[in-house]
Amino acid sequence: MSVAPGAVDPYDITVRSNGLRRRRIIEKVFGILSLLAALFACAILAVVLGTLVAKGFRELNLDFFTKARPLYGEKGGVADALVGSAIIVGMAALMAIPVAVLVAIYMAEYARPRVSRALRVVLDVLNGVPAIIVGVFVFGLLVVGNGQSAIFGAFSLAILMLPMVARSTQEILQVVPQSLRHASLALGVTKWRTTWNIILPSAIGGILTGVVISLARVAGETAPLLFTSSIAANAVSFDIHSALPTLPVTIYVNSESPDPGEQAAAWAAALVLIAFVLVMNVLAKMFAARKRRQLEGS
Amino acid sequence: MKRALALGAIAAVAAAAAAFAATTQTALAKPAGGSIVGTGATFPFPLISKWIPAVDNALGIKVTYSATGSGAGIAQITARTVDFGASDAPLSPDQLKACNGCVVIPWALAGMSIPYNVPGVGARLRLNGTVLANIYLGTITNWNSPAIKALNPKANLPDLKITPVYRSDGSGSTYAFTSYLAAVSRQWKSKVGVNTSVNFPAGTGARGSSGVAGVVKSTEGALTYVDAAYSITNKFQFATIQNRAGGFATPGIRGVTAALCDVPKKVTALPQLKIVDPPKKCGKVAYPISTFTYVVVPTKSGDKAQTLRQWVYWAVTGGQKFGPPLFFVPLPASVNAFNYREIKKIQS
Amino acid sequence: MTSTTYEPVAAPETDLRRRGLHLGDLLFKGIALLAALAATVLLGLIAWKIFQLAWPAIQHFGLSFIWTEAWDPVTQTFGALIFIYGTVVTSLIALAIATPLSIAIALFLTEIAPRRVAAPIATMVELLAAIPSVVLGLWGILVFGPWVRDHLEPWLQDVLGFLPMFSGTPSQAGILPAGLVLTIMIIPITSAICRELFMRVPKDLMNGALALGSTRWEAVRGVLLAYAAPGIVAAVLLGLGRAFGEAIAVNQTIGNRNVIPTSWFEPGDSLGSKVASEYVGATSVEQAASILYLAAILMVISLVTNVIAQFIVVRFERARAGV
Repeated sequence: MSVAPGAVDPYDITVRSNGLRRRRIIEKVFGILSLLAALFACAILAVVLGTLVAKGFRELNLDFFTKARPLYGEKGGVADALVGSAIIVGMAALMAIPVAVLVAIYMAEYARPRVSRALRVVLDVLNGVPAIIVGVFVFGLLVVGNGQSAIFGAFSLAILMLPMVARSTQEILQVVPQSLRHASLALGVTKWRTTWNIILPSAIGGILTGVVISLARVAGETAPLLFTSSIAANAVSFDIHSALPTLPVTIYVNSESPDPGEQAAAWAAALVLIAFVLVMNVLAKMFAARKRRQLEGS
Repeated sequence: MKRALALGAIAAVAAAAAAFAATTQTALAKPAGGSIVGTGATFPFPLISKWIPAVDNALGIKVTYSATGSGAGIAQITARTVDFGASDAPLSPDQLKACNGCVVIPWALAGMSIPYNVPGVGARLRLNGTVLANIYLGTITNWNSPAIKALNPKANLPDLKITPVYRSDGSGSTYAFTSYLAAVSRQWKSKVGVNTSVNFPAGTGARGSSGVAGVVKSTEGALTYVDAAYSITNKFQFATIQNRAGGFATPGIRGVTAALCDVPKKVTALPQLKIVDPPKKCGKVAYPISTFTYVVVPTKSGDKAQTLRQWVYWAVTGGQKFGPPLFFVPLPASVNAFNYREIKKIQS
Repeated sequence: MTSTTYEPVAAPETDLRRRGLHLGDLLFKGIALLAALAATVLLGLIAWKIFQLAWPAIQHFGLSFIWTEAWDPVTQTFGALIFIYGTVVTSLIALAIATPLSIAIALFLTEIAPRRVAAPIATMVELLAAIPSVVLGLWGILVFGPWVRDHLEPWLQDVLGFLPMFSGTPSQAGILPAGLVLTIMIIPITSAICRELFMRVPKDLMNGALALGSTRWEAVRGVLLAYAAPGIVAAVLLGLGRAFGEAIAVNQTIGNRNVIPTSWFEPGDSLGSKVASEYVGATSVEQAASILYLAAILMVISLVTNVIAQFIVVRFERARAGV
């Protein structure tokens, strides 16, 4: 076919049209912008972690880990806050995990679909309750008239842990193949033994993943502890009936101090907290990998 | 897997048992002195920090104190979540009623310093009540304003915006400071008023004495009101304040002692202890923003009563010697006579 | 010669077994049911307790508390507007910046990056979520706030100073620093949900679009984003709910002033932050109840946002199940 000179033959596929070039440019821009966005997020992480390391690392001496928080005008460490955090988070886990797993079992094994959906909503709503509201709740319910205590602090953290662990456990239980349950029941094993001895162990990787992630989240929670365990002696204590000092509250209080020593302690404590959170996250990934291997293997 | 779970369960039970054993152990091993928990004012915290190890040495009493602000001190002791509260502000009649039988005992006394962060200004700045009130009202906004220049003709005042910093939490320091501002400025009295927590028309808030000190340290042009001990520890420059006698006073031992001249020889009620804005007869050295700070204890304190009596008695007698290095003035005898009567009211 | 004969052994039968019941089963189901009930009761108890503690203020001030712009302990007049403004504006700032960023990050991780690059970057974004809010607040007070005051706010004033919200004196604590810290907190949440959403878009839809000659961006815009749109809305709402509820980091960076500032550089206050500051130290019973009223408003706002997000998710899943 002959075409007028100067005009573009619409059937000539060797010619690139303007439209295509423009679309290719937009495509590249899109790629670059999203890369920048991802790099920006990584950059923020690097800046925050970098500041923590730069300002906190040199504080990590032996005194920091063995001495209790100092009184006004003295030098010390965060040993009592480390111990207090460990005790309170540990107690919170002991309170929350059994209940959460049972709720998940109920939702996955026993409840009718409608009830299960309703419970899912309850747990998701509970998950969305701000931590400060939980703190005020436990304060009004338990602390008034009784005084602060590590137990109340652990209870408030357990309330935060419960929906996280329950939902993640429920999701992993749903993924366990029905064939496993049917096989067990067909062999005459009772339902509860099936759940306890067969289903739960096969889901243990996923459950532990959820537990570890919620531990990491809850170890850094400040608001509930402000109301339940913030007035504590400046000495390492194991008395769970009184308030115990904790890392997040120590960081919070020190963050507004003008004293460079207290600020340095805050940075170092934040570094320790982040290190714990990082370790928990790595553990979670390990458990998730193990869960995947188990499910693929079975 | 089953064995692992079983071992885990045994470990958890063992840990719980150990924790229980530890708590009962600490309960049985309580020292003869007793242990008490208190919270409240940040103003006396430097002094209380010295008291805690000292009273442990002297009487075996283990005191736990957390500086959360006078407002929290009053609210927490009212809710009986602690054994004693500390406040720089005396309780209002409503608060006394809510506290349901509490004694309020002045146990320390110091000056409220006015530190500032104005680089390159040279010698200590002079301020007076009117200027302070106008700064916090937001009508004086710059360090080189004529009012400040008039008081400091030789100072090198830069063109720098003033950031007045105030306590965002319920604070006895705010109570003392606003008492002073209300005494010297009618506009403050009518527009803002006096309380542990007021609606500051201008500036930035921060929590606790250390919080406001922190903002001043990091913000050029900032000034705040805070216990003298915090200014000393943080090496702040603080202002001299003009008193009714015309002198410019500093919040040191002499300045605060001079402010006591109007306290009666026989103290029968707390309102007689108002030493803010002392009259002319107190002399040129009297520091106008001095304040007592109080401990609040329920008269019905159960099994903590004896420990609390011993603690407060020690604080107002033996503990006073720790005050002067931190710019706390030892309590005058007239005040302590009042205190001994009040301490006796702490019963089970 | 021995012959082994096997005789079937009958299982010991009990009445219960024949009826199909087993004590262990009943007990187990009962305990599990109890746990489920406990979780539900807990939620109701929290809502009830907050409202119970706030009731004296609700009775005294009524609904007008919500739009009253006052907080004066001296005259005992209290109102929530100042703090609602702070909460809403800081959260909206965070939303406005975080949403496009999160979608871009999620798109990068699912559509553009090769798997070996996507995995570590995804981990890093997750780690951003793991930073405790008090640590972000610490960084906000000591590092980020001063940087905002010395660099970002003057620049904004130069560029956008004609707008009232970017005028005024730069300050290290204020609406803007708090909003930016909230941005950092909600980016990982929103991007993680978006990422999961985008991964679930059916491959054939995307491949179909690409086969028809669209570029990757056109396929994303026309197919993926359109398909995932309700999910994105839900993700945004969940991030918003998180921003509403954040009290600690905001308390550390917002400046704590009882005022609705005209400029975003200046200090203000938010619902969660005010509750954290003042609940422990209220000067009177009325003030304590008013603070609880603020907490109740916060609870309602975040619950409503969450429930709407859940609702969208449920409808989204139901609709997609048919595809």
